[in-house]
Amino acid sequence: MKPRSNRTDPITLEVTRHKLEGIANEMQSTLLRSSFSPIVKEGLDASASLFTPGGETLAQATAIPIHLATLIPAVGRIREVFPPETMREGDIYILNDPYHGGTHLPDIALVMPVFHDGALVALTATMTHHQDVGGMSPGSVPTNATEIYQEGVRIPPLKLRDQGKMNDTLVELLRLNVRIPETFFGDLHAQVAACTIGARRLGELAGRLGAEGLAAASEELLMRSETLTRRAIGTIPDGTYHYVDWLDNDGIDLDQPIRIEVAVTVAGDAIHVDFTGSSKQVRGPFNCVPSGSRAAAYFTLHALTDPGIPTNGGCFRPVTLNLPEGSIVNPREPAPVNSRTATIKRIAGCIIGALRQAIPDRAPADAAGELLVLAFGGERVDGSRYVVGELIAGGSGASAGKDGVDVIETDGSNCMNLPVEALEMDAPIRVHRTELRAGSGGAGEFRGGLGIVREYEVLHGDVVFTHRGERHVHPAQGAQGGEAGALARSVIRRANGREETIASKLVTRLGPGDRVLVETAGGGGYGVPARRAAERVEADRLDGKVA
Amino acid sequence: MSERAIPGVRIGVDVGGTFTDVVCAIPGQGHRVLKVPSTPGDSSRGVMDGVAAVLAQAEVDAARIERFAHGTTVATNAVLERKGARIGLITTEGFRDVLEIGRQMRSQMYNVRLDPETPVFLAPGRMRRTVRERIGSKGEVLVPLDEASVVEAVDGLVADGAQSIAVALLFSFLDGSHEERVRDIVRERHPGLDVSLSCEVDPAFREYERTAVTAFDAYIKPVVDRYLAHLENGLSSAGVEAPLQVMQSRGGLANAAVARRRPIRLFLSGPAAGVIGAQAVGAVAGVEDLISVDIGGTSCDIALVSGSKPLIRPEGTIDGYPVRVPMIDVNAIGSGGGSIAWIDGAGGLRVGPHSAGSDPGPACYGRGGTAATVTDASIVLGYLDPAYFAGGALALDPELAHRAVERTVADPLGMSVHAAAAGIHRVLDAQMAEGIRLVSIRQGFDPRGFALVPLGGAGALHACSLADELGIRRIVVPRRPGVLSAGGLLAAPVEHEMSAAFAERLDRCDLAAVRTVLDGLDRQCEALMAEEGAMAHEDRRVEHAADVCYVGQGYHLEIPLVLDDPDPLQRLYRDFLAAHDRVYGHATEAPARFVNLRSVHRAGGAGEVELAETGDSAAPRGSRTIWLPGREEPVEAVVVRRGALAAGERLVGPAIVEQADTTILVRPGWVGAVSDNALLVLERTAEEQS
Repeated sequence: MKPRSNRTDPITLEVTRHKLEGIANEMQSTLLRSSFSPIVKEGLDASASLFTPGGETLAQATAIPIHLATLIPAVGRIREVFPPETMREGDIYILNDPYHGGTHLPDIALVMPVFHDGALVALTATMTHHQDVGGMSPGSVPTNATEIYQEGVRIPPLKLRDQGKMNDTLVELLRLNVRIPETFFGDLHAQVAACTIGARRLGELAGRLGAEGLAAASEELLMRSETLTRRAIGTIPDGTYHYVDWLDNDGIDLDQPIRIEVAVTVAGDAIHVDFTGSSKQVRGPFNCVPSGSRAAAYFTLHALTDPGIPTNGGCFRPVTLNLPEGSIVNPREPAPVNSRTATIKRIAGCIIGALRQAIPDRAPADAAGELLVLAFGGERVDGSRYVVGELIAGGSGASAGKDGVDVIETDGSNCMNLPVEALEMDAPIRVHRTELRAGSGGAGEFRGGLGIVREYEVLHGDVVFTHRGERHVHPAQGAQGGEAGALARSVIRRANGREETIASKLVTRLGPGDRVLVETAGGGGYGVPARRAAERVEADRLDGKVA
Repeated sequence: MSERAIPGVRIGVDVGGTFTDVVCAIPGQGHRVLKVPSTPGDSSRGVMDGVAAVLAQAEVDAARIERFAHGTTVATNAVLERKGARIGLITTEGFRDVLEIGRQMRSQMYNVRLDPETPVFLAPGRMRRTVRERIGSKGEVLVPLDEASVVEAVDGLVADGAQSIAVALLFSFLDGSHEERVRDIVRERHPGLDVSLSCEVDPAFREYERTAVTAFDAYIKPVVDRYLAHLENGLSSAGVEAPLQVMQSRGGLANAAVARRRPIRLFLSGPAAGVIGAQAVGAVAGVEDLISVDIGGTSCDIALVSGSKPLIRPEGTIDGYPVRVPMIDVNAIGSGGGSIAWIDGAGGLRVGPHSAGSDPGPACYGRGGTAATVTDASIVLGYLDPAYFAGGALALDPELAHRAVERTVADPLGMSVHAAAAGIHRVLDAQMAEGIRLVSIRQGFDPRGFALVPLGGAGALHACSLADELGIRRIVVPRRPGVLSAGGLLAAPVEHEMSAAFAERLDRCDLAAVRTVLDGLDRQCEALMAEEGAMAHEDRRVEHAADVCYVGQGYHLEIPLVLDDPDPLQRLYRDFLAAHDRVYGHATEAPARFVNLRSVHRAGGAGEVELAETGDSAAPRGSRTIWLPGREEPVEAVVVRRGALAAGERLVGPAIVEQADTTILVRPGWVGAVSDNALLVLERTAEEQS
């Protein structure tokens, strides 16, 4: 390879890359550090990116995969409404509307232009999941929403700050539309701080390299990641691979499962994902706008090829998607979207399932891919109110040479569970069991990961209980002869002895003595069960992994 | 015995992966420093070898040793090598699998073929039993302990081969009586079996973290016990009468007898000693805020000292698993002298994360390595003298270094060997600088206000360029950066720390209740101090602290609690707000609550730093041609041995200072001055370099 004089020298390029990633990480660290919302701190539900003036990702800090590339449409839309030549130093742009470049309403995007010698050299952008943005229920993720107006305040692309002057009209409007303004503006200020730190350091970098030098280095870094990604795709055999999986229902039409269908075509060094055959958009909030579908595709590709490839817009160039309009993966306004995490997780699982046919050694069997959402809301003995939420995982899929992992977060999200001791100190609820669910992992030469069993008892008062499950209808499939994991199962045992099975999604009331037993799904097995090594069979028996 | 009248000799021994370092302070003779090979398998042999050698060299009788401080890897290695005891874990009925389920998060975000995130190896399902009992969230007994179920569980575990028992029952941090009764039953039925109780190891809420740390304690206890007993015997038969003291994760020493009962506090003993050493160096140099950067072959350990105190984190990790004991906040990033430079599929230069380690090591070691490492680049650039690496202990082959850089980096990129080698340094320095910046930013500190203290074999080679990248204007190079952990052992205080869960709101809390809990903790600390002998009486300090968070918050900050303040709780609240603002960037006057109360007792710890003669062979001052990044032409740098530098001497970059344990590169724009106490202090002069 010969040196190319019109290009940035490879050493300055690599140094620049480390700086850009360092800047993105510093922004992300500022977001996580300064945010009020527990979901940001403990669920890493926030992201920071740098963009080229042309709107391509220059660097992104590691965040949960549902954030991967989700700022791209936001920046794109901002650039449409506020063309770069109109951007000024001190401007900050804001939006959250999913039909204007957002993801779901709690995710608010801020974009700040960065100038050097009067020229726009880059954009810094952050997105944070805010605790509450208004709408019909606290937390702004109503499982029973049927249109977006119920989900919170919609912010189109606007200036939050105009050449250093805050948009007080917008601020006052927002203040009246969110439930906890202190938390909301605290998190928003953390976003401003993160964008500002990124802009300052990018300005320093532009000072060193010059505006043209930064632009040249940026383009070359994008090209490098594109080249690496194309090479990685080139290792996947050409062909079109189909997969279908299901979400239980949309929480409104309880008897209608939601179909996710993908046809993944690998042609040389490019990938195309076609979602034709997927369900029409649904009445409930499980619709997923294109940014989410895209995030799932990018995550899958990144994870199955080489996670070491520097994450920037170049990684995304070889990927195209066909997202049929009016479908679950590209809904029309005003479909509700707040629960789209479940959909993104299932889309990621589907693409893995499709590519498994091409690269069975690298792709695992289906994961439970469920994040069971429970919420208990009621009154303590002293009359104060409480709401506790739980996010509970199932098992991961087994793969060539590895059993699945029990009770672990997979694909799009990565949330912690709630310690029993934290829950019981906060609310008059007692937990009677937290155990692995023996026998729930799909059988195989390599066994799927197990789900969990957890049992709760209400001790006091009248409780509003929300249960948003998945995998109650369609199990996680095995691969290469492995068997499916167990279905999820949840039961309410009333104090009077009556049992009620929960069919995936439910909002109900509980009273003292009522118990809820939840069992999450297992992951799929990999390889023919008869080939499982004798010592693994014995270990499973001794350790209580099988029923 | 007449020798006892002479002031005593103090010895610090730090065991590392390759070498065991010994620092020996002899009154009137300064310090002696010695490196002997570590002895994997039984590291006490290396310790005894080192002690024997240093005593022989100094012609000092073992009986003159009045203090013996030890940094050990035994706890860490037992985990890394999976060589702990076979343990049995006892939990509350219904909660058998808390250890295995963990917090359900994955550490590798972009991975689909996952590995378990929890330390299941400590106690797989077959080694976990439950007992019938339940304590509630207010500490009330909901179900009394069913002793028959305890007998069944304990006997079953012992029958299955348990050598040590961990007990972690729900809410035991509010009432430990059930756990204590389980221990009594174990002792009655199986005398001699080690038992670790979660209410003693880590009395704080969150059952997974408490269970894991208790299981780790039980896992390493027999190993640590054996090792320390063995070492004590060895020292005793060698005539050492001084008690054995061991460095704990928080940076304080403990008598071996105490350490054996609390083995969980011995993780990262050596790195903690290094930070204490850096803190002591800072104290001598008059620097209160510093960042220590220990660059070795495979990794770079970063720690912050603020206001002369090392930052402590409430929970550390070992081998990727959470270990909830307070530790000095040492952050490792995977870059070092052995990091390999390579060309990626798109023709870009990358450095690391793969490392050549020590075997085969860099190409210049001549052990068969062909990949170009950072050390090879240092040879090509003229920074390292191939004949004086590690004081000449390891002859390096510059031709092999040159060839490796040429073949794997320069040729593919179409550039000169020197430009390629300079490139490797620039890339490594850029990534380390970003790593350091992130560590300080996460703590809410701007690195520009800090001094840099380079440690390890390669720290001082990169210090100037890291400082330039970070906007740091002062570098303090210890006399012996390569053995500062052993030096830190001599500077460290004895320290005992006790904590208790305390779930009260600040604004509804009675100070008397706080005092009652702290009095209890003080008594426990005093009991431990009573075992420390003479040193316990030197300059005794007691500090109290509280872990505080906003009501509803899931994470906390440790805030000093000043009981003799006119209004201790008001001051605690104000200090909490200030700390929250620093670390998290905001603070509102919302209600706050206690999480834990803590008492820390310290004694001794002179903050003294070693001033050893290095024994660098005398060599005439010379010069060498070196290449600096960003400059086409090479420059001549002054080359001088550290031992030849006199106090007060100034050194203007470009210059190279060589010593047995490290090489210091003074870049243009930096001026070095040798202080009275033999530290080399580098200051930034020019605004812009290269």
